Amino acid sequence: MQININNLSFAYGAKTIISNLSLTLNSGDYLVIRGKNGSGKSTFVKCLLGFNLVKSGMIFYDKVDITAFKSWTKFGYVSQNFDDFNYEFPITVGELLQISSLKKNSESDRLRLLEKMGIFDIINQNINSLSGGQSQRVFIVRAMLNSPEVLILDEPTASIDKQNKEFFYSTIEELHQEGITIILITHNDDIEELNYTHLLSMYNDLTTSFEERGVELTEGVL
Amino acid sequence: MFLSFITDLFQQDFMLRALIAGIMLGVLAPLLGTFVVVRRLSFIADTLGHFSLVGISVSLFLSSIGIATFFEKPLYLGIIFSVIGGLLIELFRRSYNNFQEISMVIVISLGAALSAIFFSLSKKTGSLYNYLFGSILTVTNYYIILILVTAAIVALLFIIFGKQILAVSFDESSAKFLGINVNLFQIIFIIMLSVVVSVLLESAGVLLISSMMVIPVAAGMKLGWSYKSTLIISIIFSELSVFFGLWLAYSLNIPSGAAIVSINIIILLFVAIIKRIILKNRISKLDKLQ
Repeated sequence: MQININNLSFAYGAKTIISNLSLTLNSGDYLVIRGKNGSGKSTFVKCLLGFNLVKSGMIFYDKVDITAFKSWTKFGYVSQNFDDFNYEFPITVGELLQISSLKKNSESDRLRLLEKMGIFDIINQNINSLSGGQSQRVFIVRAMLNSPEVLILDEPTASIDKQNKEFFYSTIEELHQEGITIILITHNDDIEELNYTHLLSMYNDLTTSFEERGVELTEGVL
Repeated sequence: MFLSFITDLFQQDFMLRALIAGIMLGVLAPLLGTFVVVRRLSFIADTLGHFSLVGISVSLFLSSIGIATFFEKPLYLGIIFSVIGGLLIELFRRSYNNFQEISMVIVISLGAALSAIFFSLSKKTGSLYNYLFGSILTVTNYYIILILVTAAIVALLFIIFGKQILAVSFDESSAKFLGINVNLFQIIFIIMLSVVVSVLLESAGVLLISSMMVIPVAAGMKLGWSYKSTLIISIIFSELSVFFGLWLAYSLNIPSGAAIVSINIIILLFVAIIKRIILKNRISKLDKLQ
């Protein structure tokens, strides 16, 4: 899927968060978005997902304007700390995946994904009894369940240990190799070990820079 | 005393009707209650009940001034008003996205105010007591048919849309990526809930309907390890409350709704205490091992 963003600006009330951001991503690209807290990373992703309504600028998915875009099943999304999910009510990993699975997926696809992510043996556990690393794997599986073309992950390594972090990055790398477009938000600076193709840096003074790896800075907006 | 209650259950028509209505109430209330609790809308049944009461009071008022209501029984106007109340909550909820409870306060206040006005205008405030506290022992054959039809429709909706309603309830924002029209399912759910609340109102009462939906679920959540087990445990607790509540109401001649809710609360307390004891024992065993 091709993603085109033209002169995107976004404000909460009078406070501008994003100013004149433009970029293009093609199928199979791996974009890392980095920036400090408050630089607008999550706000930008919420614009991409249609949660924040864009009033200035355009977002196109395969040349379709986001306001007319309907094929949201092509996206997989893991939110920051999975905070949109209601944790306190009992629900098992298996039940969550069952309600999150479209009909086209077979049981064996689902089990293969669980096996691959190393969470096969926790399928009957209650979600709120899982560790940070286990929860993260479950929510990545949920986002992957319906074979999305684009996977968006918001600061996914914030609450997990080093071992899980390494597992996470290698999984993302594998998914990227399979041709899935990856958009990964991070506030970490150690991004050099990631095999990204594009980097968007966002700063608290509203400036951004978008570059293709190995290519000179292609765009900088002040 | 218990034996005479059991024989009366099957020999007295009014008792049998109460039992059937009670069994349906015992399933429907916690079934919808789980969704209400997951979505953190525990007060919604109360709110809808108050708005349903507006419909009932308007219906009584119209018949008191000689205007036959479009529907003969107050319950129908109650259902229509409950649905209007549900849609109003949904409307206000969207404009106060981070303060969803505000929408319920607005609707519940409007409901309470309007129903008080129309009840007083209709000069039938005597019947208010029954609507506030419910009277399962006086339900009619007609009501039994209505509650069975409601249960069948709810069952059908859950068979067709249960997965989508659950997905939206647990995680509204991610439901979009499953191709679910979130707004449409919110509306389907709120209409279904509004209809069920106003139908259950006659047996459970405006002030107690919310407790019958939420308290068995609160107890079920303490013991459940999955959504399915929590739902089943909640329904079992709810049915036990209905059965023993009916027995209490029958033997002590007290309002049935109040008796059912009291048993619900006793079960919740019992479960909470037992769970705490088990947890303490487990911790002390672990301490000993260390």
